[in-house]
Amino acid sequence: MTLLVAKNIVKHFDGLCVLDDVSFEVPERGLTGIVGTNGAGKSTLFAVVSGQFAADSGHVDFAGHDIGQLPPMKRARRGLGRTFQVPREFGHLTVRENLLAAAPRAHGETLLSVFLGWRSVAAEDAELGAKADHWIDFLNLKAVAGKPASTLSGGQKKLLELGRVLMLEPKCVLLDEPFAGVNPVLIGEISDKLRELNTSRGIAFVVIEHHLEALKALVQHLYVMDQGRVIADGDPAEVLEDPRVHEAYMGGVI
Amino acid sequence: MASYLVAVAIVALIYMLLTVGLNLQYGYTGLINFGHVAFFAIGAYASALLTLKGWPLAPAFVVGMVVAGLAAYPVGLLSLRLSDDYLAVVTLGFAETVRLVIQEEKWLTRGVQGLPGIPRIFQSLGVGGYAELATLVTLVACNVAAVALLVHLVRSPYGRLIQAIRDDEVAVQALGKDPARLKVQVFMLGAALAGLAGAFYAHFITYISPDQFLSLVTFYVWIAVIIGGPGRTSGAVVGSLILMIFIEGSRFARDLIPGVSEVQMASVRLAIVGLALILFTIYLPQGIMGKRKV
Repeated sequence: MTLLVAKNIVKHFDGLCVLDDVSFEVPERGLTGIVGTNGAGKSTLFAVVSGQFAADSGHVDFAGHDIGQLPPMKRARRGLGRTFQVPREFGHLTVRENLLAAAPRAHGETLLSVFLGWRSVAAEDAELGAKADHWIDFLNLKAVAGKPASTLSGGQKKLLELGRVLMLEPKCVLLDEPFAGVNPVLIGEISDKLRELNTSRGIAFVVIEHHLEALKALVQHLYVMDQGRVIADGDPAEVLEDPRVHEAYMGGVI
Repeated sequence: MASYLVAVAIVALIYMLLTVGLNLQYGYTGLINFGHVAFFAIGAYASALLTLKGWPLAPAFVVGMVVAGLAAYPVGLLSLRLSDDYLAVVTLGFAETVRLVIQEEKWLTRGVQGLPGIPRIFQSLGVGGYAELATLVTLVACNVAAVALLVHLVRSPYGRLIQAIRDDEVAVQALGKDPARLKVQVFMLGAALAGLAGAFYAHFITYISPDQFLSLVTFYVWIAVIIGGPGRTSGAVVGSLILMIFIEGSRFARDLIPGVSEVQMASVRLAIVGLALILFTIYLPQGIMGKRKV
């Protein structure tokens, strides 16, 4: 079963064609990678698929529904989560509050419930707090749980963003460079966690990454982008051997 | 002297209501509202006009609040399309527009002549300071209530979410939450507090005219928010008190600085306010009550 389909996506910025007829598919429970040079259009593709930018043309289907016209919050509510290349943490909130702020909730985010329904708000907060603590533990963020997110290191912020999106109980998460600025030991750990989430929770991941070795070991299917187009896709090991990919991605160095 | 201090305290508490409202908008939600005085004016005029038509004070105050809050609805909608500095310019323009409408719609507001004879709060208590004392007590109660409600609000999931909007709106949307409703509501809540402050002002001063609602008022409130500490409830309280001590205190400072006339002193005062603001933004951007940098 295909979970996420992006079809013939075209996107221009001020006349510059950033995405030129890009299509890709993510199967349910799939682990998919996207590589490409800087400026190839990878992050823009995520922005279009998640609804942050509107595509000039093309379709985005998720779990059997056309979501191409939905605003980003509605796509997230359907289970399509994302993280950002440059972390967008809520800097003044603590790590734990960051996760709590992300949690979908029935009470406490309307004025009426804040002032009249505090009992159910408190009950829900306790429940979500336990859930947040679970992910904080899982991501090894316990030591910084009470610290303002702005004080975290780059790698910790990447983990925080992952924890935040996990609060949504997503079906699919778009990860934009989860290994950037992360030390090699931690890269292995994050890969293991992603695999574990994939196996135990069935979450599909689409990963943009420049760490080719780590990505090759993680994903089952790899897309290569260059100048706004998908130039190759398939089994990661095979795709990375493709001469066209070498030419475009590594400038034929290897 | 005692009655002078009571009067200063009343004005300080009116500013505190304004500051608490702006702190909710800017300090917690990141909305740059440079038109705060407009809602202060709307509250003042709404309540004054109704009481001059024979309404009792209490319902007129409520209507002043509600009208100011409703007037913020369209501006709140604008805040969804405009970010930061653009919103600042538009709200500044809105405040000027409101002032000009008040000035020109003479059939309603008597224009630049202003509205005299607005019923004083607790007029029945007569002269001799009791009316002022009762006003002071009521204002303290209103401020305590406003601060208590605000503290409850910002500690709730709602408060977490508005602070998340302030820190990164794109991330909030990516996490499935709609910032629009909260931003509009916060705009209206802050404006309603300004409207309440306006009603107190009108019924304390008993005379209002358009030139009392210049954007300078907005900037005084901004100074109180910045000095106190944006996004800190205690900051709004401390900031407005310091502002008032300074504004009133500088009246006496003239006696200490020889050779400065009354007119020149007004400029000196503004210069000192400006200098203080620059020094605060450089050396203490988190404000007096703000958390120290970790």
